[in-house]
Amino acid sequence: MTAPLSHLDLLEAESIHIFRELAAEFRKPVLMYSIGKDSTVLLHLARKAFWPAKLPFPLLHVDTTWKFREMIQFRDDTVRTLGLDLIVHTNADGIARGIDPISHSPSVYTDVMKTQGLKQALDKHGFDAAIGGARRDEEASRAKERVFSFRAAGHRWDPRHQRPEMWNLLNGRLGAGESARIFPLSNWTEKDVWRYIARERLAVVPLYFAADRPTIERNGQLLVLDDHRLTPKPGEHGTTRRVRFRTLGCYPLTAAVASDAATIDAVVAETLAATTSERVGRLIDHDSAGAMEKKKQDGYF
Amino acid sequence: MSTPHRRVATRAATPRPPLTIVQPDTDTREMIRVLTCGSVDDGKSTLIGRLLWDASDLFEDQRETLRKSPRRVLDGTHLDYSLLVDGLLAEREQGITIDIAWRYFDTADRRFVIIDSPGHTQYTRNMASGASHADVAVMLIDARHGIKSQTRRHAALLDLFGVRRVILAVNKMDLVGFSEARFREIEIELKTLTWRFHFADAVAIPVAAVTGDNVAAKSKSMPWYNGPTLLDQLGRGHTTPRTADESFRMPVQTALRDGQDFRGLAGTISSGKIAVGDEIIDAVSGHSARVARIATMDGDLRTARRGQAIALVLDRDIDVSRGTILSSRANAPTPARQLETRLIWLSERPFDANAHYLLRTVTDLVPLSKVAINDLLDLETLAHTPADGCTVNDIASATLTLGRATAIDTFTDQPATGAFVLVDPITGATVAGGVVILASHVATTQTVNTTGATFRLTREQLERGVCADLVGKPGSEAEFDRRARAVADLLRAARIDVEF
Ligand SMILES: Nc1nc2c(ncn2[C@@H]2O[C@H](COP(=O)(O)OP(=O)(O)O)[C@@H](O)[C@H]2O)c(=O)[nH]1
Repeated sequence: MTAPLSHLDLLEAESIHIFRELAAEFRKPVLMYSIGKDSTVLLHLARKAFWPAKLPFPLLHVDTTWKFREMIQFRDDTVRTLGLDLIVHTNADGIARGIDPISHSPSVYTDVMKTQGLKQALDKHGFDAAIGGARRDEEASRAKERVFSFRAAGHRWDPRHQRPEMWNLLNGRLGAGESARIFPLSNWTEKDVWRYIARERLAVVPLYFAADRPTIERNGQLLVLDDHRLTPKPGEHGTTRRVRFRTLGCYPLTAAVASDAATIDAVVAETLAATTSERVGRLIDHDSAGAMEKKKQDGYF
Repeated sequence: MSTPHRRVATRAATPRPPLTIVQPDTDTREMIRVLTCGSVDDGKSTLIGRLLWDASDLFEDQRETLRKSPRRVLDGTHLDYSLLVDGLLAEREQGITIDIAWRYFDTADRRFVIIDSPGHTQYTRNMASGASHADVAVMLIDARHGIKSQTRRHAALLDLFGVRRVILAVNKMDLVGFSEARFREIEIELKTLTWRFHFADAVAIPVAAVTGDNVAAKSKSMPWYNGPTLLDQLGRGHTTPRTADESFRMPVQTALRDGQDFRGLAGTISSGKIAVGDEIIDAVSGHSARVARIATMDGDLRTARRGQAIALVLDRDIDVSRGTILSSRANAPTPARQLETRLIWLSERPFDANAHYLLRTVTDLVPLSKVAINDLLDLETLAHTPADGCTVNDIASATLTLGRATAIDTFTDQPATGAFVLVDPITGATVAGGVVILASHVATTQTVNTTGATFRLTREQLERGVCADLVGKPGSEAEFDRRARAVADLLRAARIDVEF
């Protein structure tokens, strides 16, 4: 008797199946590479799906210019080691208007630098499908996402008119003006992602591991000082703390957690025992009830 | 896991179920997909919330939010567990659930995926979609009201779309004084309801969602009940572990090449197993070959089985591409030209006999030369009414005549390769989902292929006509492509071979 496939094996196979479907169904897909742990798993699964052929699509990083320096370093190393084709896009108009995450509200900043930046990049290159690492376990509006999720002209998402998905039949046929978002990690949880990273021995950005880092406390959250653009305000004190990140984004908007987990095994153990959900660390989601749903309707991933 | 680590947040105030830290490589927990269905107010959100609260690895911040919430139920004595199951803003505004939600939780030995589907009649299609993904379904009823027409409809849908295990959760037992007599009455109603379906098992469990009776823990108020709790029953897994002798199927998704001499047929095994040296055939062309390699990025395998995503290298070059189903020679799928089907209409736009719908099977897209609706099924009485059209949420029997042969199975034999959706060639919308009842080699109503020649659709032809407005317009490539494909599909549906 052979042992049953583990649930990680099943999730892996399902994601590979989705990758192969989208490559066959869409004319010009692109993989949204945001450097974090989910992107790392996404990229690894894509390589498995098409091995020994090269990836049939490029990677796209929408760079807000506010990523941690270690993230950019990791991105460039990954692309070089694996011989990947990477497109980096920054919303030049947003930069010109001086939109940044320190003097603007998270929602304005995210809309301009991420949502608008993403739409510009997709339109500029004529991509008809953008592959993302979002998971249904992340948030209520994500829990209702399809694997192949369609966007009307202008990249708008309408939660009331989602295309039904039955069995494992993924219909990728586009109507006029439509484009698609594809979520191969739909059925993964945060825990699965870490278990898989450990199992497959994948390299991730070192910020996921605990180290002594310069931090400040702001609005009850720990922020890591990554460069001169974020400095303590009067009354705030820069302190070295042993911290790590559960989720990575723009550094002024991403809170660190106090932790001693400095190895992959320790991170897996900490994640399995975690008592708070990961998005607690993402300041953009706290804006208001239904924040993510509204952002998605406007074309955010 | 030797590295010491500090817990960051404060410990939970209430004890949580023990969570063992599973070594990643030996994590062979089964994955069970559970569909939940019920009418509004029967207590579905409360039941799911209670299950999460009692049995899952719910985060402490979510528990804390619920404890802090001023909302209480049962005269203020209990937390409102339904708050753990929040929906879309669009839904909260309307106060109803309109779409399926997916939730995930781990217990010590299982991974559960809860597919929460709305119960209203007007959302029948969402339930059907949910059913297509589920291993087991929980139908919820209110003990005071018993089995109603809604439950009958749900059971018929579950049966139609392949759910083999159902659980009837008889909720709000506290409101009928935890009465055994009342429960036994409902149990008999359930038997009367399910005998004509194909369920492998159908059991009733008396529960009270708010108080957690028989949800994850045995009820103290119902000592007369000796059966499993809801969680136990869900955890029983797949009652029909499919046997080693099921026949092999691998729908080909794409051919992978490395630029040198590697050519692998990539796909996920949907049934059976395969070993290096085994013979496989393509039922449509009749070509066969032997498996030379089972390739994956992690190294070659000697054998592979249902659920694995692989690439097969064959010992000789046969003309196989996306849409082919590779199978064992014995029990191969039918190279079908005509299908008798049962389908649910999903689109708001009613069936249109002239729409040239496309048939999407697991990896093939086939033009249909004819779609004939034969009758509609009344889910409640299970009576058939002759019809020649259908509209959203209707369940119909339909005869599909294919523009060319494709490999397909009957749904009861091979669910993965016996199901399909219908696609509108113009809008791309998925208009119906269905199952194959009977597949035949020959179409009973043959139309003649006029010339037999292949028509070449060129860029120039399109630019002169259908895409004239796009000429020289930057960024119009995608729309051009879409129209080209739509024209090709129309021609193919008219049984003209097209190249472009
Ligand atoms: N007495 C009692 N009330 C319940 C029970 N389960 C749910 N309810 C109540 O029934 C109402 C509807 O529950 P809810 O979970 O929102 O139903 P849904 O519409 O099916 O999701 C709420 O007022 C619940 O508090 C139960 O076991 N006993």
